[in-house]
Amino acid sequence: MIIADNLVKTFTKNEKKNKKSDFNAVDGISLNVKEGEIVGILGPNGAGKTTLLRMMSKLMNPTSGMVSIRINDEEISDDIEVKRHIGYLSNNTKLYGRLSTRELLQMLGVIYGISEEDTKRRIDEISQVLTMDSFIDNRIEKLSTGQTQRASIARCLVHDPQVYIFDEPTLGLDIISSAAIVDFMKGERERGKTVLYSTHYMEEAEYLCDRIIMIHRGRIIGEGTPEELRMQTGHDSLRDIFAGLIAENGGLESDMSDLGKGAAGKRRARR
Amino acid sequence: MNTKIICTLVKKEMLDVFRDKKTVIMMLVVPIILYPLIFIGVMQLMTFISSSMEEQNYKIAVEAEDDGRFLHKLEEFRRDSQAKGEQTEESQSYEITLIDADSITDYETALNEEEIDVYVSGQMEDGKIQYDVYYLSSVENSAYAANLVKEVCDGLKEDMTRQMIAEEGMDAEAILEPIHYEKQDIASSEQSIGSIMGSILPFMLIVSLLMGTMYPAIDTTAGERERGTLETILTLPVTNRQLIVSKFITVAVIGIASALLNIASMGAITLYMYKMLDMQTEMNSFNLAKFVPAILVCMLAIFAFSLFISAVAMCVTSFAKSYKEANNYITPLMLVVMFVGYIGFIPNVELTQTVAMIPVANICLLIKNMLLFKVEYASIAVVLLSNVAYAVLAILFLSRIYDSEAILFSDGKAGLQLFEKRENLKKGGVPTVSDVWFVVAFTILLILYVGSMLQVKFGLAGVFGTQMILLFVPLFLVVYTKRDIRQTYGFARAKVSGYLGGALMMIGIVLINFVLAAGLMSLFPESTSNVETAFANIFGDNVLAVFMVVAIAPAVCEEMLFRGVIMHSLKAKYKVSSAIAITAVLFGLYHMSLVKFIPTGLLGLILCIVVWKTGSIYPAMIMHFINNAISIIITYYPEQVEKVLPILGKSNFTAVDVLCLCAAGGIFAASGALVLYKAKSAAK
Repeated sequence: MIIADNLVKTFTKNEKKNKKSDFNAVDGISLNVKEGEIVGILGPNGAGKTTLLRMMSKLMNPTSGMVSIRINDEEISDDIEVKRHIGYLSNNTKLYGRLSTRELLQMLGVIYGISEEDTKRRIDEISQVLTMDSFIDNRIEKLSTGQTQRASIARCLVHDPQVYIFDEPTLGLDIISSAAIVDFMKGERERGKTVLYSTHYMEEAEYLCDRIIMIHRGRIIGEGTPEELRMQTGHDSLRDIFAGLIAENGGLESDMSDLGKGAAGKRRARR
Repeated sequence: MNTKIICTLVKKEMLDVFRDKKTVIMMLVVPIILYPLIFIGVMQLMTFISSSMEEQNYKIAVEAEDDGRFLHKLEEFRRDSQAKGEQTEESQSYEITLIDADSITDYETALNEEEIDVYVSGQMEDGKIQYDVYYLSSVENSAYAANLVKEVCDGLKEDMTRQMIAEEGMDAEAILEPIHYEKQDIASSEQSIGSIMGSILPFMLIVSLLMGTMYPAIDTTAGERERGTLETILTLPVTNRQLIVSKFITVAVIGIASALLNIASMGAITLYMYKMLDMQTEMNSFNLAKFVPAILVCMLAIFAFSLFISAVAMCVTSFAKSYKEANNYITPLMLVVMFVGYIGFIPNVELTQTVAMIPVANICLLIKNMLLFKVEYASIAVVLLSNVAYAVLAILFLSRIYDSEAILFSDGKAGLQLFEKRENLKKGGVPTVSDVWFVVAFTILLILYVGSMLQVKFGLAGVFGTQMILLFVPLFLVVYTKRDIRQTYGFARAKVSGYLGGALMMIGIVLINFVLAAGLMSLFPESTSNVETAFANIFGDNVLAVFMVVAIAPAVCEEMLFRGVIMHSLKAKYKVSSAIAITAVLFGLYHMSLVKFIPTGLLGLILCIVVWKTGSIYPAMIMHFINNAISIIITYYPEQVEKVLPILGKSNFTAVDVLCLCAAGGIFAASGALVLYKAKSAAK
């Protein structure tokens, strides 16, 4: 189980000289994801999804608030210890092109403190599940997009984490590759893992998620199972629910300037 | 710290770096292939030159009424040179073709059409011979031939003199050569090889270390970010310190390895060359064992310096988001390091305790001294420790960078626009800070190399040239990147109160600087006396010209650079206070003297404040002019100044003088500041 308690992230921009303006990319979000549950984060560009997920996976320090995970009633909040139990995947987590997948996984095994034998067994296992045998010893830069994606999944699997955090994992992938990722998340849920992920695809979220959290301008504007959300808003499709909630919360138009900044921030991170 | 994790990370970085062709090529190809190639090339060139010299043929036309003495001597010379040429293979022998002087109607056309190289006419009168030699200094062969003719004439002269003395019944040898002079070099061959190596080796070493660390430094920092693996590695349960230490170890180890390769290659070439020289000059063979302590210390120095340079290079490249950008950042660093490394070539620079603290320079001098067998254990320790200390500081700084999300997750807008296509640049605004740093580094190097050369050669005009560099190089940046000139330079009208306030502050600061200068003079007596004599020596007596170059030109050029480009670009990015502070420190450093640093820095500070408060550069220009003008007046008219203001003529200030000057200065400065602030608030 992963718990976020009242997370706030403030960015300071000094675009104009001597004028520094603060804005909260994430503005007081609390959430938790239980074992065997998939929670989807939906939100327009610049809503603060990436910042939220980065804080949850301890890549970024929150301005205030706390992130912790609970395994067997043991609460862990130390950054390094939390990282041990998280598998984080985003569009920015590229792999070392000059290494082979096997070399990469072996090194990760050492860093995660797994014994050499266990690592070896684990790599064979993952390779079989993700059908990577044919290219596991090739340099990653030589792999195709689909193969690279599988290698990326293998990367965040190697330490068999309790919690998965995926930031738009299916963005820009073809149907087969994204289906593989969706299937993978479902499989991990069956194994009792905790999955938190963000997406733009409504159908995918509806098909996959036990619960959906909609955020806008750093705040939660709607939360619940797809059913509950329909009940709350009276809309039928997730798309309409989403549009309705955003309109209720100030809409996109009134705040284009802020949005632009957020989106720019996102573009930055992509590079 | 977990060594297992660090080892794994280092292993990963090493694999990553070594599978990059660029790094491997830089490391291996340069020392193993390029150096020997250069060496072979130079050797080839030398043999080519000497062989082309051998084929020299001089066409000489002689029309002399000297009983054939000249022709006789010329023939003697040719025979001698041929005999010499047969003995040793390499001396320059030459052919002489005598052209019949009768066939030449006009020696001028004959020379111009290169039918002949030299025309000699001679007349004898009363036993004296007058030779007129016509040649073309613009034609190389002709110039050589004329030299040959001169040698022949000299030989002839000596012959005749000896003959005449002998005819008088005296000892020609004793009269013509009463003094014999022969140089004996008692330097051991170790010392002479050490002195050759000592001037070149440190520089080569420093450059090769920088080259060796450059690519891994870029690769592990900016390269990692460009390839998008930085976020991946941040997801791992490792601390920032483990991350940085492992990256640092990787870069330093590769740097050391490449430096060792470089040294091995250069050393082999040097030994080979020395062996060849040895055979020719029959010098004593040298004892390699004598170099063992030098080599050991050199190794330690390489080790310490590689720690330092790796850390510094990583600090610089960490700010870059891409390989290309990192390259742009590394270039100024490289120029600075090369410039400071140049110190090894300058004779008579001693490794004092102060110099031992200056990075790069200290390593150069240490290695040089070791090779010259001048050992001081204290300075060895200082040099090594200071390098390690700087490396540690740089690493601490680096871990701050890696802690800073603003830098790790920041956007790609780096700001070096100088290397972007001009059509992609937007008009207006002030130059970016990165652009300005780059250009300032470049300008300072230009001034150090070109400017100092100009000053030595042309004196006052050279100083003026230096000022022009200062003006036009940054101006090029501003124009090229299409910045707003008015805004960048602060070309705006200032109120009368601005000028008044500025002038008052100026007087105040001049008075305070008097006290400071006097105090510093007593602390560092030797440096100031030098400055003053140099001032008079270079500039001479033309006071008007001195005013032009030393007062007006800096007031315009230095202001436009410091209070214009530098201050305004900094102000656009940082807080006003830090922009002013940085500009003032830079202005102090620019004067390149320990003694001048505080007074000029203070002056810079005041000028910055005036520009900030008035929004215009003009009052600062006038203030700068007044300040420089005052020092000229004091230098050139000391007596008159003393009459008007006796206190300034004193060489030693009493406590009362100091208090008076400081108080007066303070009052002036404060009232000036008051005027400026009042004017500002009134405008609001």
